[in-house]
Amino acid sequence: MKSLSEQSFYEILEIRRSATPEEVRRAYERARALFGPGSLASYTLLAPDEAEVLHLRIEEARSVLLDPQARATYDERLPAEGEWKGRPAAAFQTAKTPVAQDAQSPRTSWPAIPGVDFHPPEGTTWTGDLIRQAREARGLSILQVSERTKVQRSYIGNVEAERFDQLPRAVYLRGIVLSIASALRLDGEKVARSYMERATGAGAPAKGR
Amino acid sequence: MAELPQLRLVTPPTADGSATRRPSTARRGMRPGRIVSVGGGKGGVGKSLVAASLGIELARRGCRVVLVDCDLGGANLHTSLGIDPPRRTLSEFVNHSVERIEEILVPTGIPNLSLVSGALDHLDAASPSHGQKMRLIRHLQSMEADFAILDLAAGTQKNTLDFFLLADHKVLVLAPEHSAVENAHRFVKAAFWRRLRAASSIFGVANLLDEFLDGGRFRGPAEVLDAIQGADEEAGRQLREQMAAFRPGLVVNQVRTPEDAELGPGVAAAWRRHFGIDMDVLGAVEYDDDVWRAARERRPLLLARSESRASRSLVRIASVIQELDALAETGR
Repeated sequence: MKSLSEQSFYEILEIRRSATPEEVRRAYERARALFGPGSLASYTLLAPDEAEVLHLRIEEARSVLLDPQARATYDERLPAEGEWKGRPAAAFQTAKTPVAQDAQSPRTSWPAIPGVDFHPPEGTTWTGDLIRQAREARGLSILQVSERTKVQRSYIGNVEAERFDQLPRAVYLRGIVLSIASALRLDGEKVARSYMERATGAGAPAKGR
Repeated sequence: MAELPQLRLVTPPTADGSATRRPSTARRGMRPGRIVSVGGGKGGVGKSLVAASLGIELARRGCRVVLVDCDLGGANLHTSLGIDPPRRTLSEFVNHSVERIEEILVPTGIPNLSLVSGALDHLDAASPSHGQKMRLIRHLQSMEADFAILDLAAGTQKNTLDFFLLADHKVLVLAPEHSAVENAHRFVKAAFWRRLRAASSIFGVANLLDEFLDGGRFRGPAEVLDAIQGADEEAGRQLREQMAAFRPGLVVNQVRTPEDAELGPGVAAAWRRHFGIDMDVLGAVEYDDDVWRAARERRPLLLARSESRASRSLVRIASVIQELDALAETGR
């Protein structure tokens, strides 16, 4: 594990070198929420001087990676090790088998998904059925999606069948849909937004607050 | 080193898929009991609520469950269960008045669920000697139950850390407030170093660890493990394997807003990002006035207010723990 000052801006924000400006922006927001001043999750986790270095690096990463010229210059000088090789932070639940894992193996992201790409037209309403179609287009079973996302199988089935009364409340449901969509390589935010409109519109216990 | 027996080594699944089990239960030909510890550093975040609720729910699902009040100085798990302070307590076991821990089990009125009360009459029994603690741990590990659920004391006292570390499910309870998060971080750090130290002794690299730590140039666990592996490849690899099993499961209690619900994944991401330690997010429990209503009635939440939001969250967490068990069982 590299120290903060050795990590590239991509590693600091945990994004690929091919990340779009939009992805950079989102990663920056995420990093700031997690490690920025006032963050509850990382409160006292880091020593004050370390936390300060991290804040600076996060801000620096944003300003360089969002400036096309500065980014091009930075990329030119960046060695191959500067590529972020981590796995994406799980959106809902990071539960994994608690038995020994091979800590040696590099933390790879999900294996490439076979199957065709699934791109419904812009503005499509993401129904449960459409999510099912996207999953099947990827050639994935509910079990496989469950393994990737750590979301219970029954929840995935209920999301697809839109059995809102058998799903958790909005706060959690949104995370579940986000996880499923991300595992299907869809734009999670977009899918979750569209799906949640239907879910909360349906009245059911999936009410936010 | 005298501290070793508490550390259950992780054995990778063998070729036929079966992992090595504790011999006592393997001989009886049954599935070994699981130990769930519920800790979190700070008082008042809901450890006893989580422990009691998991116990009740797992018992309702037909598991034989023993709740153990390990808060030896301030035991009150019986109150969470709505029963009077039991006459039989860990005192008798610690003082060798009884042979086996099964002799001090008290019924809770809930089928399949019994309690080992920690309410201690003698002040000195609140901090048992090393030998007494090891005997207690041995008995906990070989108890005839599907689940032993340990409700831990607040703080990072050595005994508390050891009870946390011996468990198959290390549940860390926190609340969305700064002091609770601070104590949770401190608790995890203390537990991690204690386990790493014990494991280092087993693999003969304790001196190496001390040397690195004394140097003071390491930022966190991941770097120390890297350094040990650099100096002793084989020991470092085994150490890593052991430490991968250090995998606390987070429960965020008293969740009031969507942001609060993100605390669990946030804390897990921060730990993975900065220290290379993985955590499971077991779930969040919504803030619910029914919790204190049930407490005021001196009845367990899950029985008094089974339909409350908090009850439903806790029931889901019990499911997650069973799912993790099923995964471990299949050796995935």
